[in-house]
Amino acid sequence: MGDIGLLMDGFAAVIQPLYLLYALIGVTVGTAVGVLPGIGPAMTVALLLPLTYSLEPAAALILFAGIYYGGMYGGSTTSILLNTPGEAASIVTALEGNAMARAGRGASALATAAIGSFVAGTIATIALTFLAPAVADLAVQLGPQDFVALTVLAFLTVAAMFGASPARGIAALAVGLLLAMIGTDSLTGQQRFTFGLPALADGIDVVVVAVGIFAVGEALYVASRMRKGPLPLVPVGGSWMSREDLRRSWKPWLRGAAVGFPIGTIPAGGADVATFLSYSMERKLSKHKEEFGHGAIEGVAGPESANNAAAAGVLVPLLTLGLPTSATAAIIIVAFQSYGIQPGPLLFEQESSLVWTLIASLYIGNLLLLVLNLPLVGIWVKLLQIPRPYLYAGILTFAALGSYAVGASTADMMLLFAVGVLGWGMRQFGFPVAPAVVGLILGPIAEEQLRRTLAISQGDPSALVTSPFAAAVYTLLLVFLAVGIYLKRRQVRTEQELLRSRSEPVIQEGTS
Amino acid sequence: MSTPSGSGALPSGGAAPEGGTRTWSWGEAAIAVGLFALGVFTLVETTTITVPGSANVLGPRAFPYAVGVLLIGASLALAVSLARGQHGFAEEGEDVDAGARTDWVTVAKLVASFAALVLLIEPLGWPIAATLLFAGTAWALGARILRAAAVGAVLNVAVHVLFVQFLGLFLPAGPLEGVPFFG
Repeated sequence: MGDIGLLMDGFAAVIQPLYLLYALIGVTVGTAVGVLPGIGPAMTVALLLPLTYSLEPAAALILFAGIYYGGMYGGSTTSILLNTPGEAASIVTALEGNAMARAGRGASALATAAIGSFVAGTIATIALTFLAPAVADLAVQLGPQDFVALTVLAFLTVAAMFGASPARGIAALAVGLLLAMIGTDSLTGQQRFTFGLPALADGIDVVVVAVGIFAVGEALYVASRMRKGPLPLVPVGGSWMSREDLRRSWKPWLRGAAVGFPIGTIPAGGADVATFLSYSMERKLSKHKEEFGHGAIEGVAGPESANNAAAAGVLVPLLTLGLPTSATAAIIIVAFQSYGIQPGPLLFEQESSLVWTLIASLYIGNLLLLVLNLPLVGIWVKLLQIPRPYLYAGILTFAALGSYAVGASTADMMLLFAVGVLGWGMRQFGFPVAPAVVGLILGPIAEEQLRRTLAISQGDPSALVTSPFAAAVYTLLLVFLAVGIYLKRRQVRTEQELLRSRSEPVIQEGTS
Repeated sequence: MSTPSGSGALPSGGAAPEGGTRTWSWGEAAIAVGLFALGVFTLVETTTITVPGSANVLGPRAFPYAVGVLLIGASLALAVSLARGQHGFAEEGEDVDAGARTDWVTVAKLVASFAALVLLIEPLGWPIAATLLFAGTAWALGARILRAAAVGAVLNVAVHVLFVQFLGLFLPAGPLEGVPFFG
């Protein structure tokens, strides 16, 4: 296949010292910020977006890919070593990994997470290498009505999968869509929702909104109800992987990759669902069922691998269809757009060398991350002890920096803060922020494709569903929603069981 | 329907209402009303969008109408679920005490620090204004103010030099204009 040749060209580009340096900086910064407690992958990527402004596209995307993968690695260190309930996304790893750490096996938990992330990340990147061009070939033949169907798919799955109830997800989505409409209508040049303010005529900057919702919103939320007292940090104990650990880990790594990648490619809730599926699978298959909930290594190895494989899987719809299936993916689209590049079917044709350089950089980034995470984990652990006031002051400072760097305007900073207050309120009242960000970024695309469809069909709305592809997508949507909601409910149930089992006294110690 | 205990809410750590003082459920009711109002506002505001004669089948108003309807629909669905007693759960986080009440004093200090940055960034420049932001927010969250100011100064001078000198972005230098490395 010619793709291999293109990939090799990509490697040749990435291997240049300057690009290698960018990759190294990206993974280092990504890991460092990802390790910081309270900063998830989406916020990591949003906060570090300004770093890429002045770079040329290839360098910026290499840096960015490193940040994306690095943030994923960094997050697992946090969940293993910090003894807090943690976020829903990492709750299973947090439980098992943290239980291992408290039993003095923190080092092997970190090692199996890092190696598993590398193995699964590499397998998933290989899968991405072969799958993405094929999907792109298919995608160029799609018409506007097919893209309408895909955006509807993304909207509804994201709204239904994130958050406590579909109504909350839809509300968040609608707010994002509304924010996206502010500005000048691209097809007719009419102003919409600008209230005659010149500052709003160009629309509101998605970078500012993303940083506001993720960084400022989170900082305000945490500040308003900060946990008092020091966080219980578990020291890293024990040795790296023993022969026994390796024997018990390698199958979960591979299974995690096999579960994570496909889940990542479909809009089904992203990494959360993949992590959870892998966890319940490992629990079923394990010969050490009694250890689950008290520090089973399979329960770290599988979900962490699935998490990273899903991160690569997310890139398939993102690069080939321009479809973000998670909040982090939505922000990566912003990074592309800031260079005037629209991810989608034409990307592989028009920006071929750029895409292949990016994909090659994912392989390199994974390798660098393994090196960076295994021997140097002690350095990252120190970051966990950063005093909370400084951490959140730093988040606010970098958020302000990012919003100002976009356009050197204080109006953007005020907007940043206003959106931050919105993000705070959403967290406070249990509304998911991911659908809002996806709506903001995908809204304009959905509207444009919808209007193109109806312009071509001269107003006949049946054109929206009569294309075979669109019809198939709507059918799939129904299946996804049914399966997704089922999985989500099981996830909630399993988590509650786990939390209950953990609050009970430990009767059976791990005996391996 | 989905259970109200989504997003991994802890059974014990949730904001379980006690003694009948369900203050936060008033807040949720206000959100539902607010969403409804936002939807109505969207529909009304949409009628003021000019539709040029050349506009083809679906003009600039169609999508806004749809979003307005979506907002109203979501607010109604939310109201129904609230009436059934299904409440949202505040998001969990590593540094969040889910049982705590909102600390308005801290929030006010943060707002003031941020407002100071917006007002001062152009006259005083990034290094000084951002140091004030950092010191103010860290102090609001419990750090000692002088140490916070020192940390903030080092951080923001480094950030300024990095961004202006090495990444080529514009940040105002204020009184430091013309000083080597500050721009």
